[in-house]
Amino acid sequence: MILVLASEAVLFVLAVAGILAERPLPLAATGGVLAALALLLRFSPKLRGALVGAFTAHRTGALAGAAVFAVLLPFALRASPYWTFVATLALLYVTIGQGLNFQIGTAGLINLAGAAFAGLGGYTVGLLTVTGGWPAWLALPLGPVVAVAVGASLFVPILKTRGHYLALVTIAFVFIFNILMNNFEFTGGPQGIKNIPTLQVFGYAFTTRLTLFGVALPAHANFYFAALVVAGLTTAVIRRLHDSWLGLALNTLRDDEIAAKCSGVSITRAKLTAFSVGNFFIGLGGAFYALMVGFISPPDFDFGYSLIMLSVIIIGGVDSIPGVVLGACLLLPLPERFRFLHEYRLLLYGVVILVMLLYRPQGLWPAAVRRYR
Amino acid sequence: MTLLETRGLTVRFGGLVALDGVDLEVAEGETVGVIGPNGSGKTTLFNTLTGLYAPAAGAIAFRGRDLVGIEPHLIARLGIARTFQASRLCLGLSVFDNVLIGMHARRRTGLLDAVVRRPRLRAEIHEAIARASHFLGLFNADLVARGWERVGQLPQIDRRRVEICRALASVPQLLLLDEPSAGMNPEETAELMKDLQIVREEMPGLSIVIIEHDMFVIEGVSRRVAAFNYGRKIAEGPFAAVAAHEEVREAYLGKEGVRA
Repeated sequence: MILVLASEAVLFVLAVAGILAERPLPLAATGGVLAALALLLRFSPKLRGALVGAFTAHRTGALAGAAVFAVLLPFALRASPYWTFVATLALLYVTIGQGLNFQIGTAGLINLAGAAFAGLGGYTVGLLTVTGGWPAWLALPLGPVVAVAVGASLFVPILKTRGHYLALVTIAFVFIFNILMNNFEFTGGPQGIKNIPTLQVFGYAFTTRLTLFGVALPAHANFYFAALVVAGLTTAVIRRLHDSWLGLALNTLRDDEIAAKCSGVSITRAKLTAFSVGNFFIGLGGAFYALMVGFISPPDFDFGYSLIMLSVIIIGGVDSIPGVVLGACLLLPLPERFRFLHEYRLLLYGVVILVMLLYRPQGLWPAAVRRYR
Repeated sequence: MTLLETRGLTVRFGGLVALDGVDLEVAEGETVGVIGPNGSGKTTLFNTLTGLYAPAAGAIAFRGRDLVGIEPHLIARLGIARTFQASRLCLGLSVFDNVLIGMHARRRTGLLDAVVRRPRLRAEIHEAIARASHFLGLFNADLVARGWERVGQLPQIDRRRVEICRALASVPQLLLLDEPSAGMNPEETAELMKDLQIVREEMPGLSIVIIEHDMFVIEGVSRRVAAFNYGRKIAEGPFAAVAAHEEVREAYLGKEGVRA
């Protein structure tokens, strides 16, 4: 147990140091320590075995420890509202990634319209609050509902297609969505929707600066904690669905549709369920994004973002639930850390996907055997 | 009692008649062998019985119910399970997962149990794993111990056993085995025959239809044999009689071979 918490603490300190190191020297030192630790793990099977054993034996403890460190993160980053924002964004990508991974990884439904479903969630919230005058907390749950409803109607033509054709249909959908949002009057066209009101829960506005235990945190910390809860709940729900009859049926039909049919699985029903569950969480991520940023426009939900969502899954590990968390926490902050890379962000993602598919197609944290815990 | 009965079952692919007016009856608890050269329509028969192909004409009655036009997953739930000539296991999933999918249709817990009332799901899965272990243990105790390993790590004969267990897990009344000895050496085939004996003893009421090219297997396990050629049933009866049937010999050996 001590080993588990100690290694989590080391990782936390290194991550914070890496984020906050402004000058090249401390940054290089942090990177060096990380690389040294990785090499040590790679070439010392004894240490690796001890760590794996400790984490398997204290699963609950490890999760609790990780939660504590996740809560501590905004305190460590309190000097930088910007990094608090980036961390929140990474958490939103955990939520979105879990939904998308349930479709792509678990059910084999290649959905490249992640950005559009997130956009449906975002635009729903934007329209309901700004045009409809709804309070933000009431609009928030309706975003994912609209994403699910549109997804279900899109599912009828999708059902007839399989594999690459499905991918093509969803690509077409992202572009159609973008063109529509650009040209509709009521969505604000290219200007998008401005001044989306912020979340207010029991009279507490999410834009107030938060002071916890005598420590003043940036206003974005409100969203960070909310996104942490959302990402945690999403991950728990998806994990439970994955480790159930539904996950088993989806994995089976992904690998062999005929075998699944002849074992009594209704392909249509299972696929529709997987598609809807996934779209719900993708839409939820988009809705939350709209409330956090307060402004949305068509370029926020274009095809490039579908690819970022896809790379989160590929880096983490297809069908792997912890993999999505790892993928989002690596892929979103890294280009922010190295600003010179920022211009080449999409190129970087492309290279990363290519390298992963060539040398480690199972991802950094491959899916484990289902144990129904 | 007749469990399955086909009348004039005909399947066409364009101009090709894959099944031509086939009448076949299977009684409860009976094992029927199906033989015939490659392309004679044996697997087409299975694919039609399980709803993967739609017949152009004819009727299929299973427990007095017409199966024509019913979707494959519903046919499976009515009590017809099958294995495939080329294994259709999910190699990346565990042995238990591959057997458990056979019980999927009989699950009693839903999505709400999976997410909120988790203990209910866990209890049901626990029970399902115990049943899967029972089936696997009939063939090979080692398979139970390796239950959480991925199927891809098992040898060929054990994979075939897992596939049979997946079919048995759905508690079928009719089991269709599509050439279970395909790709096996003589020792493995002998093992397989023992396994089929075990299935027979474990489930005396189960009806089995088995496609085989290995005549020792057919002779060993089936009381009645139906021979196919060019989509037609050309002979039916006890193994010795069918094997001696002139048309069957012609189908396998050609006219020249029979005369020689």
